[in-house]
Amino acid sequence: MELIDKLSILADAAKYDASCASSGAPKRSSRGKTGLGSSNGMGICHSFTPDGRCVSLLKVLLTNFCLFDCQYCVNRRSSNVPRARFTPEEVVRLTLSFYRRNTISGLFLSSGIIRSSDYTMEQLIQVARLLRETHQFRGYIHLKAIPEADPRLLEEAGRYADRLSANIELPTLTGLKTLAPEKELDTIHSAMSHMRQRIDAANDDAERDAKRLPRSANPKRMAPRYAPGGQSTQMIVGADATDDRTILQSAQHLYRDFRLKRVYYSAFSPIPERPAGLPQAAPPLLREHRLYQADFLIRGYGFRAEELLNAPGNLDLEIDPKLAWALAHRDDFPVDLNRAEPAMIARVPGIGLRSVQRLVDLRRLRRIRYQDLVALRCRLETLRPFVVTQDYRPTDAQRDSSRLRQSLTQPQPAQMALW
Amino acid sequence: MRNASPLPPSCAAWANDFDEWRAQARRLLHAGVPPASVTWHDGNDGHDDLFSSLELPPTLPGSTPAAIRIGRDQLTLLGNAARYRADGHDQPRWPLLYRVLWRWARGDAAAMHPADRDGRVLHQRWHAVKREAHHMHAFLRFHRRDEARGERYVAWFEPAHDVLDLAAEHFADRMGGSRWIIATPHGGVGWDGSALDYRAPCPAAWTEEARTAAERANADEEHDLWRTYFVSTFNPARLNHRVMTQHMPQRFWRHLSEGDLIPELEARARHGGQRLAQESSVGRRKGKALPDARTTLSQPSPDDEG
Repeated sequence: MELIDKLSILADAAKYDASCASSGAPKRSSRGKTGLGSSNGMGICHSFTPDGRCVSLLKVLLTNFCLFDCQYCVNRRSSNVPRARFTPEEVVRLTLSFYRRNTISGLFLSSGIIRSSDYTMEQLIQVARLLRETHQFRGYIHLKAIPEADPRLLEEAGRYADRLSANIELPTLTGLKTLAPEKELDTIHSAMSHMRQRIDAANDDAERDAKRLPRSANPKRMAPRYAPGGQSTQMIVGADATDDRTILQSAQHLYRDFRLKRVYYSAFSPIPERPAGLPQAAPPLLREHRLYQADFLIRGYGFRAEELLNAPGNLDLEIDPKLAWALAHRDDFPVDLNRAEPAMIARVPGIGLRSVQRLVDLRRLRRIRYQDLVALRCRLETLRPFVVTQDYRPTDAQRDSSRLRQSLTQPQPAQMALW
Repeated sequence: MRNASPLPPSCAAWANDFDEWRAQARRLLHAGVPPASVTWHDGNDGHDDLFSSLELPPTLPGSTPAAIRIGRDQLTLLGNAARYRADGHDQPRWPLLYRVLWRWARGDAAAMHPADRDGRVLHQRWHAVKREAHHMHAFLRFHRRDEARGERYVAWFEPAHDVLDLAAEHFADRMGGSRWIIATPHGGVGWDGSALDYRAPCPAAWTEEARTAAERANADEEHDLWRTYFVSTFNPARLNHRVMTQHMPQRFWRHLSEGDLIPELEARARHGGQRLAQESSVGRRKGKALPDARTTLSQPSPDDEG
């Protein structure tokens, strides 16, 4: 089979992984060196496909032959899809060629399970080793960690990769039992825990190195890095009946216990030869969007999953989770922007983290006025009922939440229809 | 005491770039010339020498003006906002920068805050400049040229603001020992493996070579591989035109080798009812279900090439 045919099949087979991030890698440069590639912590999206998703990495499977029969997966062994397998050298060639053209910032390599978990993991490592050692490649590498593989192999993978990820896919035990009989939640968790310990230890060493840089500036004397971009995972949304509260609680648990950098949510897209029990409906994109918003509130704004959803169920599709929380907590509002703690300002719907910082800076210089919110381009129509400034008090502060909600959702029906 | 000698009713100053502006602004500020009294000329205006003489009252001996203190963050903001190419209805850069500096030097710290009338414009411009530098890092495409001395890469790009040097530093880090040139309508830069070589205006030969390479982008096999990847990694079930164009404005599509695929992929996804995530050409290939793991583990594994 020609390389181009393999690429067509194995990129198609890899698109169900939502992550394409190339951020979080340490600063590396090839200036004045042999080899190729750099990273500076910032991700670069080199293109966007018409689904609005960023193309940052060459995201392919090494092979889509697979021993597992996970029902939600297009590559499950019982699926009648075309199969292909790259040699490690072919993946290296594609990565370097695309990288030189500036169409990617690195490689995200995953694979179906062939022969054994250990063998598969060794194959993935082989590609990363060729890139890093033979070709002195300093771009981004994200490797899939196969949870069932020997910890010694995860150890080796982390020395080449910027990021490792083991996918949870389904956040509940029953979900996994029904749809992914060969996967074990415990195994995935213990792989994550192992990687967390190694990442933490390497970060501690790196911090120590940074403090006594003059002596240890020689890279050979510095502590070996381990997946400096951290680990991430993915959960499928809408393949089974799991609700948003369960999904967000398990994300919260993953962030806390394994210090994941990111949890990705992937709206289940219909696959060919759909097994019985899986939805044929269009992927729930708006639900996925609300989960990302809630996830962001948990990671950046100090919200807990239980605050955003205080009972089993899903997030409100009509309004964003921050506005929903504010409408349910009217007693905490309006917030006086000239007096409130920054953490409370961050809870005002329509004010983002950057504006919080700018408002705090500004009130050291002078009192905050309503016009400042206009200048900072905050979402005025949303925040209006929730803030007090030197020259402004909301007239609808007393209005009850359901009527307020009505007035807040009315002006933008067209925007909702887009999703 | 500086006001002892009468100021000229107005004076003219010009600058081609930020460093020149900075030198002029420092002198004007020391001389106490208020913003309203300065007529700034931008290098791009093609200034007339008749008006170019900057006449300032000499600083009186013994009255050394206080040093103008400006933090590194403020300098970064001013310097980067100056990279913004103002067009028709935007206010020109030098008077804006000088007004802000004047206010700042007089203790008005809010002048550089994003909520301020002037500060807001500076921050918006800096934001636009950062975004354009990022666009150039992301959407510039190198085309390979095989020569006797080895391979070389050429690129054509039309940045909306003055970000060529930011991009050059980025690509010097990224491309290692490979030689390359980047040509733009406002200047060019080359890298020979060890040093950057800036040219303004861009040499005609560079422009010619880069534009030709960009237009014949579909000449090689690598090009087909990239287009194949782009088609396969797209998920037709998730079509979202608005988000795509928000991140990748249409003005960049022309020089992307995948650019012409976008309308076609969108039309096909809509036509096919956006039902499956799988790319249709992959779906048309012959499929292969695999035997159960329990039987395969003892037999040769199913990882032979399909």
